[in-house]
Amino acid sequence: MTLVGLVVLDVAALLLLAWLLNLVRVGRLYAGYAIIFMGAVVLVAIGCSVPALSAPIGRALHELFPGTGVLVSALAFVVLVLVYVLTQVTLLAHRVATIAQDLAIERAGPPRPPQRGE
Amino acid sequence: MSQPGRVLVAIPAHNEEATIADVVARVRAALPSCDLLVVDDGSRDATPSIVRREGVTLARHPCNLGYGRAIQTAIKYALRHDHDVLVTLDADGQHDPAQVPGLLETFTAASWDLAVGSRYVKTRSYAGVPVDRRLGMQTFSLTVKAFTGTRILDTTSGMKAFRRTVFAPLARWHFVDFHAEALVYLLRLGFAVGEHPIVVHERRHGTSMYSPISWLKYPAKTMLMSLVALWQAELTRRGAAS
Repeated sequence: MTLVGLVVLDVAALLLLAWLLNLVRVGRLYAGYAIIFMGAVVLVAIGCSVPALSAPIGRALHELFPGTGVLVSALAFVVLVLVYVLTQVTLLAHRVATIAQDLAIERAGPPRPPQRGE
Repeated sequence: MSQPGRVLVAIPAHNEEATIADVVARVRAALPSCDLLVVDDGSRDATPSIVRREGVTLARHPCNLGYGRAIQTAIKYALRHDHDVLVTLDADGQHDPAQVPGLLETFTAASWDLAVGSRYVKTRSYAGVPVDRRLGMQTFSLTVKAFTGTRILDTTSGMKAFRRTVFAPLARWHFVDFHAEALVYLLRLGFAVGEHPIVVHERRHGTSMYSPISWLKYPAKTMLMSLVALWQAELTRRGAAS
């Protein structure tokens, strides 16, 4: 990989990590999902940035899947769609949790009078 | 005991039929003038019916939402019903309710916004704790220290006292758990957090919420959420939170 390509890849990885972190911050992506994506981004970035890893991985991928460029693009699209789907799942889960909490509080009613010492 | 206003004692419970009646009785004996709430987090056993039989206020989740959400329900309840202080303790009998008055005295005297009932603040060491748990405790404690400058030795204690000042920010946040990440969030928002020594007994009934897999997932999620809490607190302080 050229130096320019390496820099572009690492910057893209950092931006992706920041984006995922922000999705967690605003409650749009569950932390558990974010960890999986962030782990994958870090692994891919390391795998591509370290020549001792990227060369054999690249050769293996090219032999198994000719047209690796198309494959990478397709995988990137799938990952982005997966992030989108999981943000919707997270939002739904938050809304369900909030409704469940509010229902529990409504049904509990006011505190029962504390028992006085005998 | 001089109370810091109107106190709610909340016990989050999930499948604790073996101990909940005893815990409720001991809370009533130790804290007769406090309001008492059990937050049932989708129990599948007799926990809710036992709580009803004991005549305790019950907030029941229709499904299991997790410990963090159960604590948040207690906070929202305290906010709704104008309590000044919320005390939480575990439903498994590990916490002695008789230690709560001491916690509240220290909490009031020190004017803390959050007091943590701490197993380790007196000795300032984790001696006697199994290696895996000790590693986790040290990691979370050092994480809180790194992000806030404050060393909290027992970040996972279930016995805590919350002042009304922290109800609103905690009610709004989407916690995964309610330990290290909440401490980072509150400390970075400028709230005062301290530790009061308590003794915790070993669990004799039921199962811990921490499974073998959670020993891998939990630290990763906690570290991530602590980082997110740090970021969110900074944005809130600068008035730029969305």
